[in-house]
Amino acid sequence: MKSEFSVFGKNMIRKDAIEKAKGEVKYIPDIQLPRMLHAKFLRSPHAHAKITSIDTSKAEAMPGVKCVLTHRNVPKVHPLRKFEYLLDETVHYPGEEVAAVAALTPRIAEEALKLIDVKYQALPAVVDPEEAIKPTAPLAQENYGTNIFHGTDLVQIPRLDKDHWLRLEVGDVDMGFSEADQIVEASFGWTPVQYNCSPKPRTVVCEWTGDKLTCWADTQLPLFVWQDMAATLGIPQAKIRVIANGAVGGYGGKMPERVATLAAIMARRTGRPVKAAFSRAEDLIATHHRISYKNFHRVGVKKDGTMTALYHKILAHWGKDTTVPYICQGTGLLGSTMLYGCPNIKGETCGILTNTVGYGPMNGFGDPEVIYTVERLMDMAAEKINMDPVAFRLKNCMRYGNRAMEYEQVLYGPIRWGILGSDLNSFPELIEKCAEKAGWKEKWKGWRTPMASKGPKKTGIGMAIGMHHTSFWPSSAVVKMNQDGSANVLSMAVEMGQGYGTIISQIVAETLGLRYEDVNPTLADTGATPTSRGNVASSGTSSPANSVRLAAEDVRKQLFELAAPRLNAPVDALEAKDGSVRVKGTDRKISIASICFANWQITGRANNPPYDSIKDEKSGQVIHAYAAAASIAEVEVDTETGVVDLLRLTSGHDCGRAINPVLIENQIDLGLVMANGWVRTEKYVIDEKTGVVMNPNLIDYKLSTFLDVPKSEDFQRFYVERPCAWGPFGAKGMSETAMTAVGPAIANAVYNAVGVRIYEGFLSPDNILRAIKKG
Amino acid sequence: MPEIILKINGGNYEVKAATTATLAEVLREELGLTGTKMMCNEGECGACTVLINGKPMLSCMTLAIDAQGKDILTIEGLADPVTGQLHPIQKAFVEHSGMQCGVCTPGMILTAKAFLDENPDPTEDDVRHALSGNLCRCGNYRRITECVLDAAEKMRMGEKDEK
Repeated sequence: MKSEFSVFGKNMIRKDAIEKAKGEVKYIPDIQLPRMLHAKFLRSPHAHAKITSIDTSKAEAMPGVKCVLTHRNVPKVHPLRKFEYLLDETVHYPGEEVAAVAALTPRIAEEALKLIDVKYQALPAVVDPEEAIKPTAPLAQENYGTNIFHGTDLVQIPRLDKDHWLRLEVGDVDMGFSEADQIVEASFGWTPVQYNCSPKPRTVVCEWTGDKLTCWADTQLPLFVWQDMAATLGIPQAKIRVIANGAVGGYGGKMPERVATLAAIMARRTGRPVKAAFSRAEDLIATHHRISYKNFHRVGVKKDGTMTALYHKILAHWGKDTTVPYICQGTGLLGSTMLYGCPNIKGETCGILTNTVGYGPMNGFGDPEVIYTVERLMDMAAEKINMDPVAFRLKNCMRYGNRAMEYEQVLYGPIRWGILGSDLNSFPELIEKCAEKAGWKEKWKGWRTPMASKGPKKTGIGMAIGMHHTSFWPSSAVVKMNQDGSANVLSMAVEMGQGYGTIISQIVAETLGLRYEDVNPTLADTGATPTSRGNVASSGTSSPANSVRLAAEDVRKQLFELAAPRLNAPVDALEAKDGSVRVKGTDRKISIASICFANWQITGRANNPPYDSIKDEKSGQVIHAYAAAASIAEVEVDTETGVVDLLRLTSGHDCGRAINPVLIENQIDLGLVMANGWVRTEKYVIDEKTGVVMNPNLIDYKLSTFLDVPKSEDFQRFYVERPCAWGPFGAKGMSETAMTAVGPAIANAVYNAVGVRIYEGFLSPDNILRAIKKG
Repeated sequence: MPEIILKINGGNYEVKAATTATLAEVLREELGLTGTKMMCNEGECGACTVLINGKPMLSCMTLAIDAQGKDILTIEGLADPVTGQLHPIQKAFVEHSGMQCGVCTPGMILTAKAFLDENPDPTEDDVRHALSGNLCRCGNYRRITECVLDAAEKMRMGEKDEK
């Protein structure tokens, strides 16, 4: 396909490439301000305890210590709409902040923490979520009455049933199962907790000038940090400026933290800037990690593979709390309903509180954790009717025109159905291409037959599909023309490494006919950029980048109106190309620089339109965008040691339209590597009795390395393009989708190799050996 | 606090440093050379790698006083100091998007430099093993490998040109 674009769709060099290659990029921990103090936090050793006394006098007397905070001298406010106060008299997990010290150096602050004498009265604690839902279990939150979350005064969950479960049913599930030739069901073990492990542990820097606060926060949601600080500090948002420029890889975990407010209080009281930087261990112990589900699924199928009914039950472990109550699970329920066009579906879920670190969204936001088990069950169903797993998925996968649900509606209103946009037709294409590229036909030898067998070593192949939404949220953008005809684009969304600053510059350059190098982004600054929700839900491309496109179109309209009389041509005869406004089909033109020099106030702005406005051309119904994926894994399992070697991975993804192909491939790689770590290497170990994290370091918590992923020729990723009606030039978010199909593809390949289904979440040697032994 | 002299990127720097101060701390906090990035500060990730006498070392595990009298190369010193031209490895990372969030990038580039200086014509496997102590949470391993192999080729061609 010959591209009609000059900048869009090209591998333009990242806007931040040179500064990153030279180490010149400034991340939040690199910020140093004159007279800056360093904050450190004292953390609870107990899973659940009441503080009976706390003596800070020695710490306060230590030279170099400038401020000590405890529950006794901070405002009684609920940060982030949490159960507990900013610093609380009762602690609810091992790691909760008990006191904070600001001192001249990080070492003085750390030494001072040791001088704080805290006496605790231990309270009954619960660590195991399955214990926690028993009626006799200790209460994780002592005043809440139950361990099943159902909202608080600050967090309303209107759609929960009386027993605090969230339920969703479409069609008639009982009838669906009665029509099935085979019913297959399985209960899977808890999906692994995963530590998001941002390359930079959480850091904030707060500085007051007069009555105004600047907070540099390493977050993917500056908007939420801004709102929360205003609420907890009791000052207007207008006096707070949150800057998340220089935030680093959030992977869903860089949600607002209460330490921003604590640092602001210490900065206010000392009259000096305060930096609060977590150590790697603190980041492992005291930030939200990937939510863990225990899933039960049941599917009804006819002999020819037609799916007649689906039932899902999801227990979700939240630990001490979650950052986004029930929204992950709402997404998970949809994730389990959005892969296959089944007419009768029922799902139910509840969120369980315990006294461990909190669990919430991470790359995939509730979807990978359910797709991981649904896709294993689909293989079990295909085997039951002796159907090829690729053919089974091709027969049942979602397609254009199938009804779909908008996930926010699950929680906050009547369930509203739209239809899937034509982009979801990418499922069949992805499945077929993935199978072809992986050589499925030659390699798949049938059920219970490994690809190859050499002594104790068995080789297997497995497939899975996945998907994730790409949100079309409210967002706004400004494109500001400069006097020389270059442009700055202002957006509150965040560059975390995914390439957001690059793609919006491409979009502006394409729309205005400017050179890519003449466009530069200003991002993630609540005092300088128009409001957007931030970079969550793979929304960057679909929402804020789309508002950028519309803002650039606003500029173009103004340029045309100014140029039309000078060119003596009507506005609709004009085009913006090669730095000029031209009369189409002629050589009459006027340079954009000269228009801007004469009219240097040209500024375009736009809001992303509401979803309801996106209608399908054929049916006129509201349509929904999701990004689809298909993955095939090949593994070798040593049946004597249980060790799995990932030999080959083929993975295809739908991006609507590729704005920058290299960036898309990098985001696909991110998903593949993260999924591989999630199910195979990254074991987060919590002591069953105390709730204490046993491996808070990167030696014992094992991220994938160069050697844990297949070599280039065995690591095939590709994307397909089906323009999305929502996004800029047909592009849409796809980043989180990348990991959704990989975990189950690996699990299905392990099954093909060893002939025994592993129901556990973690595909570790011990779990594999145990399953083989059991048969 | 003792005063020490560190030879960094060809220049001598006099700094006061506690005997317990790590090289990473001195580089970042005393000298403002924040190009040396930190992921873990406990010798697990490779992000803070600098070259000491040409060998990749973890600056978070190296005491500043132990680095006296040695040649220290940080990412700030890799591009040509006169022309500002990027090193071929940096150039490959820029052109092929070898970075995402960029935190591991300086450590990757310096580890790769030390490796290519010794092994100008490596295989993909050689590169993967040489860099396996450097973690990339963005999972950019495949792209980084491509960048290093591409840089190796360009460096070999450059040397041929010079001859």
